[in-house]
Amino acid sequence: MLDIENLSVSYKSNKNIVHALGPISMKIESGDIIAIIGPSGCGKSTFLHVLSGIIKDYLGKAALNDTQLNPKIHNIGFIPQNFGLLPWKNIEKNCLLSLKIKQKPITDSIKERIQYIVDKLNISDLMDRYPKELSGGQKQRAAIARAFIMNPDLLLMDEPFSALDAMTREEAQELFIDVWNQYKPTTVFVTHSIEEAIYMGKKIVIMSHCPGAIVEIIDNPLFNTENLRQNEEYLKLSSHIRSISKRGWKV
Amino acid sequence: MKSKDKIKLFLQGFLLVNIIWYLLAIIVDMRVLPTPIDVYMNLNNLYDNRLHIHILASLYRVALGVGISLLLGVIIGLLMAYSKAWNKILNPLVYFTYPIPKTALLPVTMLIFGLGDSSKVIIIVLILVFQVIIAVRDAVLNISQETYNPIRSLGASKRQIFRYITLPSILPAMLTNLRLSIGTALSILFFAEGYGTQLGIGYYILDAWTRIDYIGMYAGIIAISLFGFVLFVLIDILEEATCSWKA
Repeated sequence: MLDIENLSVSYKSNKNIVHALGPISMKIESGDIIAIIGPSGCGKSTFLHVLSGIIKDYLGKAALNDTQLNPKIHNIGFIPQNFGLLPWKNIEKNCLLSLKIKQKPITDSIKERIQYIVDKLNISDLMDRYPKELSGGQKQRAAIARAFIMNPDLLLMDEPFSALDAMTREEAQELFIDVWNQYKPTTVFVTHSIEEAIYMGKKIVIMSHCPGAIVEIIDNPLFNTENLRQNEEYLKLSSHIRSISKRGWKV
Repeated sequence: MKSKDKIKLFLQGFLLVNIIWYLLAIIVDMRVLPTPIDVYMNLNNLYDNRLHIHILASLYRVALGVGISLLLGVIIGLLMAYSKAWNKILNPLVYFTYPIPKTALLPVTMLIFGLGDSSKVIIIVLILVFQVIIAVRDAVLNISQETYNPIRSLGASKRQIFRYITLPSILPAMLTNLRLSIGTALSILFFAEGYGTQLGIGYYILDAWTRIDYIGMYAGIIAISLFGFVLFVLIDILEEATCSWKA
């Protein structure tokens, strides 16, 4: 379980202290997938950076399974908006980077897992190519493969599909949910697309303007349903979120 | 670029330079400008003139000078990039000394370190080390913080971050710098070998010049050019091996 209590972040900018996030509290069950949606600059990315261990300077509590979040202890998979593949490593080495950093030996069972994920995401032909030689969608799939290969305790994604064109995005989302259902790692992702939040979020957390606080947490009944847009509930839910956005993302 | 294209480029350049040289020699028709054919016919005498020993002496000085510059420059550059305190101390020093024409210090280094190899190597280091420092510091500072994020979220140690992020991302800049450094070192060498030595390709050319052995002088110029070219090709190979992701 991911336990967030009174988490808030401030940082210094030109000698002023900027209060960027919080305080926010939430509990996320293991195996849940949470969508965070809110206006730009509300601290969504800051929140992910705290969870991923990139920002260490915060107040409050962020604990995974009763241990303070720490990237050295926990396996944290992080997919940034630009996919975060290292340009000087080919896709295979990029995918294995997490195991190398964590100094985990590549056993037969891990090999099997890698093979399964790579086949599922259809990137086996790309393994010896460099990120520069790949399209946006291919890079995205490689980044997803890298995150799942490490078998994360916590998977974080920062607007993971926003750099893709509409067609590729839908394909990538479907593929992602497909692989996610296989392993069900606890997942938090940030998005600015209401549709994406409803399609991929088991729970949807709506955040307010800076400093980001939680407006509402919605249990999403539509998670994992097919033909989403034909569903009546979908229209209701998305117009509800839209109305919050029109009110100005206020608590 | 593929190696086949490079060989083609080299041959084209070589041919073009020699044709221009040949035409100029015919037009000028003076003893100071022999035709390339005369010079190439004389190349087999170079071994008797112990040219290879001169080349080895120069190579030793270039390698030592460039090697020390890289070692010092990389260490100081990294120190300045990583530590604000060190940057505060070193930045004014680098900024102030960078534009001083260090060749002017050759008499000083020769007075302090003697006429031998050490003063020549030191002058090379003095000239190169500053550009290496600045190149390394700027290359590290130019890495965007985002590049570090995925590896930080893996809990990488400082050493791992250096090995997997910092080093590979500054490598292309370092190789470009090595290329420039070798070119500069060869030019300095020509000047520095004019004093206090009887070895080195620079000395060989200047000596042939004073003996009015123009053919020998041109042979020396060709030798130093080829020498520089071979070093460039070696860097190309190194670049191919370590930075193929950039191509």
